[in-house]
Amino acid sequence: MLWVDYVFTGTLAMLAGLDRVALLQFMISRPIVAAPLAGWVMGNPLVGLEVGALLELLWLGRLPVGASIPPDDTQVAIGATVLALSMDPLLGMNGMPVVILCLLTAIPLGKFGQLFDRLARHANGLLLKRNSALASGSPAQLERLHLLGLINFALASLATFAVILLVGTLFLYNFAPLLITAVREAGLSLQYSFTLVGAAVLLGLINVTRGTSLFCAAFVGTLLVLWLR
Amino acid sequence: MMLSRKSEGTMSQPVRLLLLKTFVRSFLLQTSWNFERLQNLGFLFMILPGLRIIYGSRIPEEVLERHKDYFNTHPYFAPMVAGATLRMEATLAAGEDPQVDISSFKKMVMAPFAAIGDSLFWGGVRPLAAIIALFMAAQGSLWAPLVFLALFNLPHLVCRGGGLLLGYFGGLRAIESIQKFHLPDLSVRCKEGSIILLGVMCAYLAHKGCNLQDIPSCWGFIILPVALLFARFARQGVSSMFLILVTTTSLLALALVF
Amino acid sequence: MSIVLVRVDSRLVHGQVLEAWVPSVKADCIVVANDGVASNSFQRTIMQAAVPSSIKLIIGTLQETSHILSSTDLLKKRVLLLFDNSNDALEARRLGVSYPKLNLGNMHSSAGTNRYSCTIALDQDDIHNLHQLEEQGVTIVAQCVPSDREQGWHKLVRTGSW
Repeated sequence: MLWVDYVFTGTLAMLAGLDRVALLQFMISRPIVAAPLAGWVMGNPLVGLEVGALLELLWLGRLPVGASIPPDDTQVAIGATVLALSMDPLLGMNGMPVVILCLLTAIPLGKFGQLFDRLARHANGLLLKRNSALASGSPAQLERLHLLGLINFALASLATFAVILLVGTLFLYNFAPLLITAVREAGLSLQYSFTLVGAAVLLGLINVTRGTSLFCAAFVGTLLVLWLR
Repeated sequence: MMLSRKSEGTMSQPVRLLLLKTFVRSFLLQTSWNFERLQNLGFLFMILPGLRIIYGSRIPEEVLERHKDYFNTHPYFAPMVAGATLRMEATLAAGEDPQVDISSFKKMVMAPFAAIGDSLFWGGVRPLAAIIALFMAAQGSLWAPLVFLALFNLPHLVCRGGGLLLGYFGGLRAIESIQKFHLPDLSVRCKEGSIILLGVMCAYLAHKGCNLQDIPSCWGFIILPVALLFARFARQGVSSMFLILVTTTSLLALALVF
Repeated sequence: MSIVLVRVDSRLVHGQVLEAWVPSVKADCIVVANDGVASNSFQRTIMQAAVPSSIKLIIGTLQETSHILSSTDLLKKRVLLLFDNSNDALEARRLGVSYPKLNLGNMHSSAGTNRYSCTIALDQDDIHNLHQLEEQGVTIVAQCVPSDREQGWHKLVRTGSW
């Protein structure tokens, strides 16, 4: 890991983080996009694709609606990718078990994203409250005030990314050699459990009448074809 | 400055500028999102270039005031509201009657459009595009993120751009006509499609898992009740973070014991 | 006809109602009882545009509501009844719409209101109306979405504003 890698991935973390709410909303913030991008910045997009694919479904069903804030899966995706790619130069480890270990490290740290995001939104509120410009400001002042929100959201994203990277690296540097054998033993079952949990949660949260029957029909039909083929 | 209806067909220079600026600024709608008034300042920010074209450099205080109020809708549908609002402001500035009070217009449309957008984009299009991309990612194809972005952003940008034009040139009548697109029914179709693809994906994984263990694929049916159980947990409010951590930890523990 | 949920929500038909409450209480019909909306064809059209065709939406004045609810169209429907404010909820009861339980969803702040939870702001009239409803035997609870905890409104008011 060179320091330029951190600068580039940090910039990406900030831009993708802004994409969640504050800017664009082109969905480059989704794990399936953000993680391969982070991997590409560090020269290995395929590891990013693995991270993104495992993570994508988990919070897909959480709608970014009104005042509810889901955990920051964008920073988890980018953070886990960077962690996974730094394990090779750091500890000489690579491959799918490392990806899974890094994901499992980064996911709980995504809670910090919720916290920082909420702080950024409160900071926006304070900005408008404390600054009497909202009541009496000229249009140009209002525009500047509005754009200041970019800083709050960018800082929140960077803070989340930094926490995931720092805590994650410290944790993995000390415990990865211990844990990696267990992850290798559990093998593919771990990888599949991500997709299974993700799919199940999404199924639970998507609001369709008879959704369960549709899911069962599709599952049974497909498996029968694959089995009897 | 007159932005009257005779400028339709060939768009006049100021109208083109107004629409372009509003469109670009719509991407910054939620930059100052706050718990008190949500997107209020963002909406004002979005229509300010338009207001400057309509009213010149001195925008009347009461105009600014009515756009500082609480506002919240789906970000992709906000340009349509902005378009219609600017059309009404232009009508008002020309000394005519916009038929509906602008503030009450915004209040009337924000909640229904939020509902349409939430269920169409967050509930419908996004999961569908993501699941299709996941099928490609499973093959290790780096096209997956690009396909996701294309599938999602095509309707997204059509909604922003088309909505803005519809709102500005069609006004209230056009906004009423959104009913003919049956968007809530479209979201239901997207959601059903997503669920079917999820079922196929889980079955495929179960089959692949059985193959790797050298057992017949019928063992894969065990996955189904597990998935339904987890779905039930999720519906009752158990978080995905909890579910994934518990599942993987127990798998790790099992792997260590045996 | 069975009324599965009666709710006060100043946003009337919106995401929380359609995405969270409708599936949770398995409603297949939404009745909006509001004089303003009933007389505004534009708002009625927009509201209709937000509801999928699998759910019946009926918009009526408070006066019409008890008549609507007893009509044969709704005989086999599971109805979700929406009011804009506490005054309408009380008025409807006076006009013959009876319900045992009232859910408080979003009640937005304006001049003279105190904020009691993230989504509920009440003024003196609201509190007066709710007390009257309670005297008539209505259980009043605050619950934004089904996954939130249901809370008695007294508890809300006693803990004070924030």
